[in-house]
Amino acid sequence: MLKKYPTFRYILLRAIWYFLTFLVALGLNFFLPRLGSDPVDIMMAQSSFSSPEIRKQAEENLRKDFGLIIVDKQGDIVRDADGNAVKASKVSQLFTYIGQVFQGDLGTSFKNQKPVSEIIVQALPWTVALQFPAILFGWIFGNGLGALAAYRRGVFDKLIFPLALLMSSVPFFVFGMVLVYFFGIVWDFFPAVGAYSLELTPGLSLDFILSVAYHYILPFFSIFLILAGGQAIGMRSMGIYELGTDYIKYAKWLGLKETRVLAYLFRNAMLPQLTGLALSIGQMVGGALITEMIFSYPGLGMAMLTAIQTNDYPVIQGVTLLITTSVLLANFTVDILIALLDPRVKQGLSMDAK
Amino acid sequence: MNLSKRIAYSAFALSFAVLTSCEEKKGAASETKSGYSRSETLYLAGSQWGDPNTFNPLVEPWLVAWPANDRFNIMYEPLTAYNSLTGATEPILGTLVSYDPEKVVVDIQPEAKWSDGTPVTSSDVKFIYELGKRFPQAPTSYVGEFVSGIKVDTVDGIERISFMVNKKERNNPLAILDQLQAIRIVPAHIFEKYLAENNNDFAAVKKIKCDKDPVVSGPYTLAQYNNERIVLVRRDDYWGNNVLHGGALPVPKYIIHPIYKNNDHFAINLQKGALDASMNYIPRVNEKKKDGVSTWYDAPPYFVPGSMHFLYLNNTKAPLSDRKFRRAMAAAIDYADINRLALSSYTPEMKPGLIMSDGLEKKYYNAEEVNKHSVPLGNKEYAKKLLAEAGYKAEFDDKGNLKYTIGPKGDTLPTLFIKSPSGWSDWEAIVNLVVKHLRSVGIDVREGFVDGSQYWPALPSGQFDMIMRKPPVAVTASLPWNRFNAVMSSRNWRPVGDGNSMNENEGRYNGPKSPGYNKRVDNLLDIIPVLSNEDSLKAAYTELNNIFLDDQPIIPICHLPEEYYQFSTKAWTGWPSEKNPYAPPQLPWVGSGINTLWRLQPVK
Repeated sequence: MLKKYPTFRYILLRAIWYFLTFLVALGLNFFLPRLGSDPVDIMMAQSSFSSPEIRKQAEENLRKDFGLIIVDKQGDIVRDADGNAVKASKVSQLFTYIGQVFQGDLGTSFKNQKPVSEIIVQALPWTVALQFPAILFGWIFGNGLGALAAYRRGVFDKLIFPLALLMSSVPFFVFGMVLVYFFGIVWDFFPAVGAYSLELTPGLSLDFILSVAYHYILPFFSIFLILAGGQAIGMRSMGIYELGTDYIKYAKWLGLKETRVLAYLFRNAMLPQLTGLALSIGQMVGGALITEMIFSYPGLGMAMLTAIQTNDYPVIQGVTLLITTSVLLANFTVDILIALLDPRVKQGLSMDAK
Repeated sequence: MNLSKRIAYSAFALSFAVLTSCEEKKGAASETKSGYSRSETLYLAGSQWGDPNTFNPLVEPWLVAWPANDRFNIMYEPLTAYNSLTGATEPILGTLVSYDPEKVVVDIQPEAKWSDGTPVTSSDVKFIYELGKRFPQAPTSYVGEFVSGIKVDTVDGIERISFMVNKKERNNPLAILDQLQAIRIVPAHIFEKYLAENNNDFAAVKKIKCDKDPVVSGPYTLAQYNNERIVLVRRDDYWGNNVLHGGALPVPKYIIHPIYKNNDHFAINLQKGALDASMNYIPRVNEKKKDGVSTWYDAPPYFVPGSMHFLYLNNTKAPLSDRKFRRAMAAAIDYADINRLALSSYTPEMKPGLIMSDGLEKKYYNAEEVNKHSVPLGNKEYAKKLLAEAGYKAEFDDKGNLKYTIGPKGDTLPTLFIKSPSGWSDWEAIVNLVVKHLRSVGIDVREGFVDGSQYWPALPSGQFDMIMRKPPVAVTASLPWNRFNAVMSSRNWRPVGDGNSMNENEGRYNGPKSPGYNKRVDNLLDIIPVLSNEDSLKAAYTELNNIFLDDQPIIPICHLPEEYYQFSTKAWTGWPSEKNPYAPPQLPWVGSGINTLWRLQPVK
């Protein structure tokens, strides 16, 4: 039945695949953190209980709170013959976890005893507000420059290309530190640290908003310029490649208008860049970590790092779930976009259907 | 206009617009002032990492946010404060009356009040000191091992509290003296109410965050907090202003603790004058002097040494179980090299042993005995001689690089690894140098940098060859006893392995069931806390230090300050320093360091 609607069939198939990938990722997100050391051991090592008995009891209490050992219906710890608490099996923990995820419950942080969703809700706006515009504008700006360089060549290209190459090959933490050093310390144009001046109380006051904007500049450019450089390189080489293809030559030979030729060119050169954009947006959260550390900027990356260092399973799972979902969604969107934009894919779809 | 041009131009225009709009905002932001004015606000940092979670002082200290955690005494106050400069026990909520092998006696300040007006009484003291009897999981439950009972008398209308030394268990009045400072008194009437409301469920009470108008006794209280900062506001009705500070108010109206995510930000903000004091390691702090960043001394070592950092050795694993091997290691390490290259000259010249040769511990330091028992430090030839005598041989390649070490039985020894948390840059630098020094004399050692999640559990369970360690020993009245105890005590000795945790002597030295068990070590550790005669104390310390030097169970690497006290004079002046030592080199939030708050002056 779906054969009549190849595009719809394609989307449906993709969706099924993405859902399966999601399930596998969910399992990996669950098991990978559990390969490392035990979070309770980490906490206990930093405690100062001197008596082994009290220590053991405190340890059991933590494990009970975290659902790592089995409790009976009265809430008492189930013990084996030696009096040791029986650990909950990983598989049973996994099913509890999946059940909770589908009910929208991400669990509670071991370290903070805060709901994971609350941690994410507090941190995510900062990460998105910084990363999303930087990535999007960096992408637009970089692609514009790259297309221009490919088309114009000459002096313009000779200037842009090495610059873009330089920007794209500088690791962005190095670039961030260079920005902090010169603009934050040596010349003191911008604040080097933080997301707003700490003497202000966060709120909808004008001072606070201005302060946020002022603190936004350095972190924004640390991402924007690096990303734009990389995109410009990619777009330039794609553009040059497309300029030499038969269809462009043919179009020119037919005497089509220049804008029309360029539109064809741009549409084809864009496709791989679009995938790049989706990936960048999907990896936003992971990529935020370094920016956050360099600028002591609030956001999810740091929450993730602290969670990994203390093996705070629920937070790691919650954040990786978010990353997984955003990567998958971004890719899914691009898959659909490409199917709509690229006539070759569309053609292929209808051929498959026949 | 063609498409690519259009996109490029619009992108240019867009970024230009963003740039210029931000430029305008810069000017506006610096002209207007609201919130906490700089001349009334003291910025202190270094004690809060990550999101503040709870301010409940009954929660495990490592989960609690500053300043409700640890030993900070600006919100919740202890009975007394230790002055690490003079060795005096200074009064806060109580005054130390006497201290002997039977009991430690403290008078409660009759004027002391909680912020809700209720007086601070012996019932508050009893509540927190005896909480462990009611709830074994309470963070102060360890007190029971030291204090067998609390007696309250009234003398001239003043409540007098006697902490009876628990003779059967620890028999250690010295540790009780430490606890007078370490345990902060919390309002019993508030927490009893919480307990009653929750049917005595301690776990439920621990979930209360205590972050809205907490009832405190100290000079500051919590105003607000988020994930970027914690703000304290001065309590102008603080009882201690009249009783302890001659009627004066602490000068800063607000204290803000910014929460940084990166070690570099302490240095950057001190230099910019956005931070007034910090306690974090900043390399080459003397180069920041031109930006107004100062330390206790103007010349090396810049800081007052207070704590030792150690290389713990697994005494149960060959070849580290061999005393001669350990002594050779102590001799091979070039401590001056470490001080110069890894520590920015922050450590004074290393003297062997566990007693510092300067400051308050000087009276127990016996130079003659130390020289007799110690290996010469930083002497590679001596180390090689020791190794050769003990039957160790090393194979070097043509370029002089160590290939492997052969043990006394002719077997090739396994490579030993030094565990250290990755990212702790000063320790990383130390470990790199130690590896270089040890390999050069023929000891097969490598760096083993691990993530914090592997470092912390490895310590108590003893799963390491060697590990960098700073025992949680504060500069308190019980030094250097507590340092010896952290390194040599076999009181809770357990073999290496999961579930066998030791919180002192993690290197498993002197196992009670091992063939060479030296009972004298534990004897001395038991005796010292109850000795009051200075001569016998010095004799006991010397004997214990000699055993340490003979056996070398671990290797002291450097003597660093308890906290890196560094301050900026850009916004506030009047900080204590070598030239003006009215308070010890501590940030104004712990011990008698808080006296600084009444002496600071804003820069106009």
